[in-house]
Amino acid sequence: MISGISITCFAASYAVVLALEISRLFFRSGVRWAVMVGFTGAGMLAHTLFLAYRAAHAQGSPLSSKEDWYLIAAWVLAGAYFYLACFHARNAFGVFLLPFVLGLIGVGALAADAAPFAGEPASAVWGAIHGVSLLLATVSVVGGFVAGLMYLHQSYHLKHKRPPRAGLRLPSLEWLRKANSRALIFSMPMLGLGILSGIVLNLVRRGPQPGGVAWNDPAVLSTTVMFAWLLIAVLAGWFYRPAREGHKVAYMTVVSFVFLVIALGIGLLIDSGHGDLRSRRGSPGRSSVSQGRPGA
Amino acid sequence: MIFQVVGCSHRNTPLAVRERLSFSGTQTRQAIAEFRQTFPGLEVVLLSTCNRVELYTAGEEGPPAPEQIADFLGRFHRIPPSEILEHLYSHGGEEAVRHLFTVASSLDSMVIGEPQILSQVKQACQLANEAQCAGPLLQDLFQAAAKVARRAAGETAIHQRRVSIPSVAVADFAQQIFERFDDKKTLVIGAGEMAEETLRYLRDQGARDLTVINRHDERARELAQRWQGKARSWDCLPASLAEADLVISTTGAEEPIVTPGQFAAVESARGGRPLFVLDLAVPRDFDPAIGGRPGVYLYSIDDLRQACEKNRTERDKEIPAVQRIVQQETEAFLAELNHRHVTPLIQQLRQGWEKPKDEELQRLFHKLPELDERSREEVRQAFDRLVNKLLHPPMESLRHASRHGVPRGLLEALARLFQLKD
Repeated sequence: MISGISITCFAASYAVVLALEISRLFFRSGVRWAVMVGFTGAGMLAHTLFLAYRAAHAQGSPLSSKEDWYLIAAWVLAGAYFYLACFHARNAFGVFLLPFVLGLIGVGALAADAAPFAGEPASAVWGAIHGVSLLLATVSVVGGFVAGLMYLHQSYHLKHKRPPRAGLRLPSLEWLRKANSRALIFSMPMLGLGILSGIVLNLVRRGPQPGGVAWNDPAVLSTTVMFAWLLIAVLAGWFYRPAREGHKVAYMTVVSFVFLVIALGIGLLIDSGHGDLRSRRGSPGRSSVSQGRPGA
Repeated sequence: MIFQVVGCSHRNTPLAVRERLSFSGTQTRQAIAEFRQTFPGLEVVLLSTCNRVELYTAGEEGPPAPEQIADFLGRFHRIPPSEILEHLYSHGGEEAVRHLFTVASSLDSMVIGEPQILSQVKQACQLANEAQCAGPLLQDLFQAAAKVARRAAGETAIHQRRVSIPSVAVADFAQQIFERFDDKKTLVIGAGEMAEETLRYLRDQGARDLTVINRHDERARELAQRWQGKARSWDCLPASLAEADLVISTTGAEEPIVTPGQFAAVESARGGRPLFVLDLAVPRDFDPAIGGRPGVYLYSIDDLRQACEKNRTERDKEIPAVQRIVQQETEAFLAELNHRHVTPLIQQLRQGWEKPKDEELQRLFHKLPELDERSREEVRQAFDRLVNKLLHPPMESLRHASRHGVPRGLLEALARLFQLKD
């Protein structure tokens, strides 16, 4: 029965929830919240079972294909939305968050043709660290971007003396600024760990032979630039008080998101060989420096 | 079974009279106990708020006349009944039910949509319960009223639209900027009445740290003392502005007391923290250009008035929806109540048919001993279906008739036709 669950099942559930969230702008309903939570719960369940099934039947390391990587990122964001929908029900988080959940699922579905990476035992641990840390950094940057968008929207309305619109109530600027700031601070070490583990993974896989992923690989370069940006943003917040101002933090998360899109885009669109060490070494198994993360 | 409400409210009674007729909690307990002694056959709930005093009664016997209620209120408050009677309104039956539902949903409040009335309605019923003055009729009525209020709050935005300047300032703006207020510094410049009203809302939200600045130190100290804050001299204005998170300004100054240049001097000391400024003074105390600075949210009295007006318009759009809920719930409550009158007769009718059915079944099974258990069950079910089908039309007629009141004529006719007891 579990094998019958498809991406469409949970994507459709999230799409229904997004439609319900948008409907808050137009009319009130006493049962909408319960329906939204029900659909999100059903979507999460299907999503979890789908990933669990794939992990159990993976050809390579569990959940280490591009498709899985995007679907797990979407799963983490959907979980965050589920929590917010349950405990901050008055705020319309879904209008901002769910499009990204659906977007990640969509990208995952587009990357479904890519073959899974085969993890060699020696590099499996480093591959997992590499994949998970970059996944958490990505989720954090997306979460920060969503909070940044909400901050800028809320701030714009308050500056223009507009009371909150019924159906589109957002958290306070103080809450959003904290969420922004934490997302920024969390994503920096995660990305750093991802890059570091990628270097170790590269060395482990390459061994004494020449080759491996080059330092000037576009995916490596874009990720390193993104890390440098996050480092500067975090340090600026620590040592320069005005940089902690809500708008500035929101803009920093927006810029971080732009870097993320570039890095992911390179991973998806440019065939740099990053993540496909097998082809260079001619070994039969498909392995990857990015072990589950495209473009890194 | 008749519900009645007799009382007065802000709609028809001046504040001076309402003040004299109002009841404290202790007085309410005493009053309803006395009322029960005078009218032992009646349930009673007394709803006393700053906007209304209403006595809800219910019982099988006839309700007291408004004159009797005026006598009762007059005796209790030592006011001549004639002075009270002219202010009293009275609603009975369906109108009384509708009135309570309208009150509980805040449609009859001075500020439509204010949420406190529901807790006051619940508290009145609880007091009457504790004093054993409210029986099943009024308990059901007040529970239904609470349901109406919950529906109005859940299905409409009637409670979400604030229309007073201080409430809009705090709920629609300050709460959109700050998550909590207990760690925020509030600065009051001047000592206007509106500032105090706004402080009341902020205090409700947890604001504690208050500084008052006034050109007259004495007035600053007075206000600070009333609100457990601290007073500072006028010279400390720039330093206080640098520390503050919320500013309420209500001076009578003819020129802005904070210009963009002065604000720029304190801006760097603020370190980018957001600043919420309520400029309630006319002419304005803060130069409007300050509102353009990053992190500064500046609202003048006109901005707040516009927001109030917008909210009022939006809120008024919700009124028909709440009225529909009141109407639906009134009809449902009365139908349910009337149905209770009909239920005993329906039960008797059903029992009256059950007995001959069972007798006939027994006779049949006795005559046909060859029937196995399965066949017997089929026969039993056929008889049950027959009885249900025969009873369905009269029951539907009763149910339908009870929507519009107790169908006494129909009940009598059925009782006589089927020889049912009372």
